[in-house]
Amino acid sequence: MAKKQVQIRRSRHNMDYVLLTVVMFLIVFGLLMIYSTSSYESGDLYLKKQAQSTVIGILGLIFMIKLPYKYLQKFDFLAVVVSAVLLLLVLTPLGMERNHARRWIDLKFISFQPAEVAKIGVIVYLASIIQKLESVGKNIIRTPKGIAIVMVPPTIIAALIYVITKNLSSAIIVMGIAVAMLFVAVPDYKWFVAAGGGVLAVAAAVVMYVANADAATASFRLGRVRAWLDPESYSTDKAFQTLQALYAIGSGGIWGKGLGQSMQKMGFLPEAQNDMIFSIICEELGLFGAMAIILLFIILIWSCMVIANKTVDRFGSLLVVGVMAHYAIQVILNIAVVTNTIPNTGITLPFISYGGTATLFLLAEIGIVLNVSKSCK
Amino acid sequence: MSAVNSTAKRNMTVQKKKTFILCVMSVIALLALCVRVGYLMIGRSEYYTEQAQELHERERDIKAARGRIIDATGTVLADNKTVCTISVIRSQIKEPEKVIAVLSKELGLSEEYVKKQVEKRSSRERIKSNVDKETGDKIRNLDLAGVKVDEDYKRYYPYGELASKVLGFTGGDNQGIIGLEVNYEKYLTGTKGKILTLTDARGIEIDGMGERRREPIAGSDLHVSIDINIQKYATQLAKQAYETKQAKGVSIIVMNVNNGEILAMTDVPEFDLNEPFVLTAEFAGQEETQDTFNQMWRNGCINDTYEPGSTFKIITAAAGLESGAVSLNDNFSCPGFIIVDDRRIRCHKAGGHGAEDFTHAVMNSCNPVFITVGLRIGTQRYYEYFTKFGLRQKTGIDLPGEAATIMHQPDKIGEVELATISFGQSFQITPIRLMATVSGLINGGKVVTPHFGVKAVNEGNATIEEFVYPVSDEIVSEDTTQKLRYVLEQVVENGGGKNGYVEGFRVGGKTATSQTLPRGTGRYIASFLGFAPANDPKIMALAIIDTPQGTYYGGQIAAPVVRQLFENILPYLEERGYY
Repeated sequence: MAKKQVQIRRSRHNMDYVLLTVVMFLIVFGLLMIYSTSSYESGDLYLKKQAQSTVIGILGLIFMIKLPYKYLQKFDFLAVVVSAVLLLLVLTPLGMERNHARRWIDLKFISFQPAEVAKIGVIVYLASIIQKLESVGKNIIRTPKGIAIVMVPPTIIAALIYVITKNLSSAIIVMGIAVAMLFVAVPDYKWFVAAGGGVLAVAAAVVMYVANADAATASFRLGRVRAWLDPESYSTDKAFQTLQALYAIGSGGIWGKGLGQSMQKMGFLPEAQNDMIFSIICEELGLFGAMAIILLFIILIWSCMVIANKTVDRFGSLLVVGVMAHYAIQVILNIAVVTNTIPNTGITLPFISYGGTATLFLLAEIGIVLNVSKSCK
Repeated sequence: MSAVNSTAKRNMTVQKKKTFILCVMSVIALLALCVRVGYLMIGRSEYYTEQAQELHERERDIKAARGRIIDATGTVLADNKTVCTISVIRSQIKEPEKVIAVLSKELGLSEEYVKKQVEKRSSRERIKSNVDKETGDKIRNLDLAGVKVDEDYKRYYPYGELASKVLGFTGGDNQGIIGLEVNYEKYLTGTKGKILTLTDARGIEIDGMGERRREPIAGSDLHVSIDINIQKYATQLAKQAYETKQAKGVSIIVMNVNNGEILAMTDVPEFDLNEPFVLTAEFAGQEETQDTFNQMWRNGCINDTYEPGSTFKIITAAAGLESGAVSLNDNFSCPGFIIVDDRRIRCHKAGGHGAEDFTHAVMNSCNPVFITVGLRIGTQRYYEYFTKFGLRQKTGIDLPGEAATIMHQPDKIGEVELATISFGQSFQITPIRLMATVSGLINGGKVVTPHFGVKAVNEGNATIEEFVYPVSDEIVSEDTTQKLRYVLEQVVENGGGKNGYVEGFRVGGKTATSQTLPRGTGRYIASFLGFAPANDPKIMALAIIDTPQGTYYGGQIAAPVVRQLFENILPYLEERGYY
């Protein structure tokens, strides 16, 4: 049904209102859940802060809808350079530490996470550079030089994120976006299949190694893998959060306890409004609530794909693919972490988890997508 | 240029296809996660719900009422009193000033203390426990938010000091500390109930979430053989003797000879069971150490041993008669002493008893005759009888801490030792051990297990268990029993125990005057063991006066105690169908 509507609208060169509606729903739902998860511990503090970010984010969204997206094409290397500089600024006195992690830049009137800027920066860079390489000559992108031009800057950005902010998950997301955009841009499959297979093989080898290794010898990150394999044995430290999330999910059952009725948010699951918010959704709204949220994300991703494929313009299309990849990676990894399907790494749930910078840029990205959707055939 | 364009077009087609693939892969991943979520929320729901519930619920125990201790007449000797525990829940308090003012006034506590407790950052803070019900109800009726009044049980002993060392008392958790309260803990203690309340991670109760209750199960009542009337009277007599003789202690035990049921046991000075941690007058001024309290709670009847002295001649007589070493008509001559090895052992009568038969030797409690009989029996046989009569074992009484017999090793018993054993010296037994063995000698040959516990009855008035106690194999023949009954009645009728005579009843018995250890301090233990009716014994009483001032002969000070006891309790026991 969504598709049909999209087609009708698109023929009139209107933007995709289904996508906008889904996003608005997610945003409002996110605010509700942030209040639900944090009010017992912190009153309306987080709700107020998130509401402010959302207002700024909506302004960003409107700005990106109004700004002709082709204008972004000028920011190829500049987007990467700005991202890198902002990341490096974290090391200067402008950098700020919160919850034992130095990931913010504090400009007194506003503070934000450069890693979130870098994600949109990488999307803009890749979309414009791929488009430019294509217009220059035939298949340059398939040569080693072309691949280097496409992949080296995002890799540097990911490395900076990991090294400077110790934020493995954002680095993974940046690399994931880059690989996804490269994947759609070139006709080859085998390299990607081989690379994917290789990653899986290494992961399996690590898991095997850790599962058989002595607990004492496993390092911090490998310890996370152990905690993932056997959360109940690490219930007091590494798997504490995961186990509390599982308690929340499991105790939700099919129908849930009802909105606001979570027990786990009452100090058992720390910072429930952050990465683990999905588990409280499960606890309060049950399996059906959880499925409904996943379905909304599927609609979101699907809408992006439809817009990307209806766009004649290569640059616009690639921008939408990048945004789609960004959302998809983050939603999948978040839910996988919360359900202990993969080892714990802090990833937020787009539009729902608490977080100012993320909300602003996620909304700005939606603005770009909607902007592109206006020019669809 | 057109080549570039066509390549771009082809790439665009590829891109669309691949974007679709990417999207479909993402959707598949999300659907797979839906399955995972479904598995967790349906398949594992029960498990995680249970784990979470355990995490969220805080337990509060509801104390179970402890079983009562009830005597043979149906009188409750140990009961429960409802008391209240007052606590505050900080997060629920609305008017802290008022709460502090009311609680400090009603509970007689300083405002600073209550304020400190009220303002403590904890889920639930106890202000005071063991508050009487009246005050608790008053506070509850004020309906102050955040103030909780929980009802609770406290052990209460209606008769205070009565049988204190037998009944024992309970500690803060209502668990037995000494006496029957310890020994029958598993029957008396109930099963705690639980109140489960939902709390947050800090343990703060969450309003309006309700609570789950598991009701407690009260402990079983313990029915004991103590008869409160006899116990009261025995205690009164013991106190009297304790005061008039300024003794260190006076013990009286009254036991059923045929089944070992103890009708009374007192060891004056007793202490108040309702205030077990307040030193009695005897201990006043001493340091309040565990040791001092242990001394105060000590039951001399079973926890301490003594040299029985002449009452032990009953055992020598029994062994002599049973072994044939002596008969009642054997003639002896007592010059006032006897030479054993190179020792000269004196009779208590300086000039000696002269010519006497064995019956009269028992009546006179003549040491040289009993030494002669002991030597006739011989070391090995004497030791065998000592063992057979159960004297080397504990009686198995149902009280904790029974002391063991202190006796020579058989190879260390020479003539002199045998001689002293024959009249009750150079070894030590507990008073209850003496009674148990003598009961066997005069009841027809079976040593009983002295005990208090009769049965345990649950809340629903159903008997959970009737306690049974072992009885020994026959230790002496009926003939020997008959002879012992006869001579011991003679002791009371015409011999050294005549102060134990009770008008209208046939009483048998034996007196004893033993020196306390170490010797030469001039301190004595006077005792009398009596039983009635002499021809068919039912009841036995032992009175022991430790370190009396002035007259210290058992026949003169202990026998009258048993006489007065028997004068009162024998008619009463007849009435109760004991005869």
